[in-house]
Amino acid sequence: MIRVEGIHKYFGTLHVLRGISLDVEKGEAVVVIGPSGSGKSTLLRCINLLVEPDEGRVFLEGTQVNRADIRREWVRQQVGMVFQSFNLFTHLTALQNVMLGLTQVKGISKDVAATKARQLLARVGLAAKEHAYPAQLSGGQQQRVAIARALAMDPKAMLFDEPTSALDPEYIREVLDVMTALAREGMTMIVVTHEMGFASSVASRILFMDTGMIIEEGTPDKIFHHPEHERTRSFVDKILR
Amino acid sequence: MTKRLPWNRENRWRWIDTLLAAIVVIGALLYVYELMVGSRGLQVDYIAANYGQYLRAVTVNLYMTTVAFVVGMTVGFFLGWLRTIRSVPVKKVIRDYTALADASSRSPFVRSGMLALTVAWTGVKYLVRRIGDAYVEIIRGTPLFVQILFAWSILVVNFPGLFTNPSSVAFTAGLVALTANTAGYQAEIFRAGLQTVHSGQVEAARALGFSRLGAMRHVILPQALRLIVPPLTNEYIGLFKASTLVFILGVQTEITFVANKNAFAGHVFEIFAIVTGIFLLITVVLAKVVQALESRFRIPGLGIQQTRSERHRARPAEVP
Ligand SMILES: Nc1ncnc2c1ncn2[C@@H]1O[C@H](COP(=O)(O)OP(=O)(O)O)[C@@H](O)[C@H]1O
Ligand SMILES: [Mg+2]
Repeated sequence: MIRVEGIHKYFGTLHVLRGISLDVEKGEAVVVIGPSGSGKSTLLRCINLLVEPDEGRVFLEGTQVNRADIRREWVRQQVGMVFQSFNLFTHLTALQNVMLGLTQVKGISKDVAATKARQLLARVGLAAKEHAYPAQLSGGQQQRVAIARALAMDPKAMLFDEPTSALDPEYIREVLDVMTALAREGMTMIVVTHEMGFASSVASRILFMDTGMIIEEGTPDKIFHHPEHERTRSFVDKILR
Repeated sequence: MTKRLPWNRENRWRWIDTLLAAIVVIGALLYVYELMVGSRGLQVDYIAANYGQYLRAVTVNLYMTTVAFVVGMTVGFFLGWLRTIRSVPVKKVIRDYTALADASSRSPFVRSGMLALTVAWTGVKYLVRRIGDAYVEIIRGTPLFVQILFAWSILVVNFPGLFTNPSSVAFTAGLVALTANTAGYQAEIFRAGLQTVHSGQVEAARALGFSRLGAMRHVILPQALRLIVPPLTNEYIGLFKASTLVFILGVQTEITFVANKNAFAGHVFEIFAIVTGIFLLITVVLAKVVQALESRFRIPGLGIQQTRSERHRARPAEVP
C-alpha cells in the first residue's frame, strides 16, 4: 500500500532523514516511536508529500508518487493526515470542517457532503456537536473532528502524528478508541505515538526511529520487552517508566 | 456559555466611567466655545444657512475615499500576499526540481526546458516581490501631500490631452494619489493578516488536497479578513480624513471652507463646528456600525476575544 525507498531529507545542512525504507501492507497498522527530533513527523510528511524528499522514492499502491508529473493534491487526497495540534479550521463549525474538503476539493454537492459529514461525526461520537466551533470543543472532541475530516476524503491510508500528545489525560482514551475502531475496520495506518497500550493492542509492527534512521522494528512484544539495540532499550525504558 | 448576570460588580460601576467621560468632553467643548465665541454668541443662523454646502462637499470626500479604498484593497491584497512569499535560493530550486525530474519519465529535452521555466518563474516572483517591497516603503515613507502633487503633475505634464477641464484633472489626480497611498498601507495590513493565520491551518488544508490557491481562498482569507477588519476600518477613517488634502488641487472638499480665509470673517467657530461635527458624526457612526457587524459575525476563538460586557449583551450562540 505505502512503500518508501531510501528517502533522505535535508533542512539546510541538517540531515533529518537518512535513508528510510518502509513497506506498509494494506490494512496494516504500523506504530512509529522515537525521541523528539528523530524525524518522525518529517517521515509522515514525506509520505503525503507535504515535504518533498530530497532523495529516494515514495510509492502509493505501487505507483511512484514523488515524480514531477504527479499532482501533489491528488496524492494528498489519497492519504489522510491527523496532526498533533488538531489544526481544525478555526472559522468553520465541526460540520463545515468535515464538509470543506468534500465540497471544495472533490466538488461534491453541499447536501451530499453534509449527509456524509454527519455520518462521520456520528461515527466519532460527535453528532450533537456539529454546530460547535473548534474553540467550543475540548481537545479530545477537536481531534475526533479532525479524524472525521480526514476520513471524509475516503483516504486509502491514514497518517497520525502524535494525535494524543497535546491532549489532557482524560481525553486521550476517546481519541484512541476511535483510532482502534478504525484499525479494526481494516484502515491502513501509520501512527506516531508513545501510547504503549494502543501500540501493543493495535500495531502489527513497531518502528523505532532515532537520528533519522529506523534503528529497529518488530512486534510490540519484541520492541517493548526484548529490544535488540541498546538505543531502543534505553528509549523504551524511558517511556515505560 | 456564560450566564447573563445583569448586575455584576463590573456593570455596577460602569456609569461612573461614563459620567467622568461626559464631564471631561463637555468641559473641553465649553472651554473651546468660550475661547472662540465668548460673549459674541453662537450664530446659529449661519450654521443653519450654510451646513448644506458643507454636506455636499463631504460627499466628494466620501466618494473619493470609498473608490480609492476599494480599488486600493484589491491592489493591496495582491501586494500584501506577494510580500508574504519567502524567497527560495536558486540552488535549492534547481536541486528540488532535479530530484523530482530524475524520477519522472519525461525526455531530457523536456526536463531541461521545464527546469529553465521553473527557474525563470522563481526569478519573476522574486523580482515582483522586491518591486512590491519598494512600493510599500515609498508610499509609507513620503507625505501624502507630495504624492498628491506628484500624481497631479504627472497627469498634467504627461497626459495633457486627456482631460478637457482642469477640475477633472484635479479630481482624477486626487483619486489616483489616494488609491496608490491606501494600496501601500493596505498591503501591510493584508500581509500582517495573512501571516497571522496559523501555519497549521494551511498545512491541514494542503493535507486534504487543497491547492495553494484553494487554501488561500477557503482557509486563509476567511480568517485573515476577519482579523483585519479593525485595522481596515482605521485605514478607511484615516483615508477619509486625508482625502481633504486634495483641496490643494482645487477640488471642493470640506477643508476648502476652513482653508478659505475670507470665509472666516466673523464665523470661525461656526465653520469649525460644522466641519468637525460632520467628520465626527461620519467616523463615529462608521466605527459603531463596523463594531456591530464585527460582533455579529464574530467566531469563537478567532481574533480578538470579546470584552466581558460585550459578551453579556451578545445574542446567545446557537450552539448547544
Ligand atoms: N520545516 C523545517 N525546517 C527546518 N527544520 C525542520 C523543519 N521541520 C523539522 N525540522 C527539523 O528536523 C528535525 C526532525 O524534526 P521532526 O521530524 O519534527 O522530528 P520528530 O517528529 O521526531 O520530533 C528536527 O531537528 C527539526 O528541528
Ligand atoms: Mg513530531
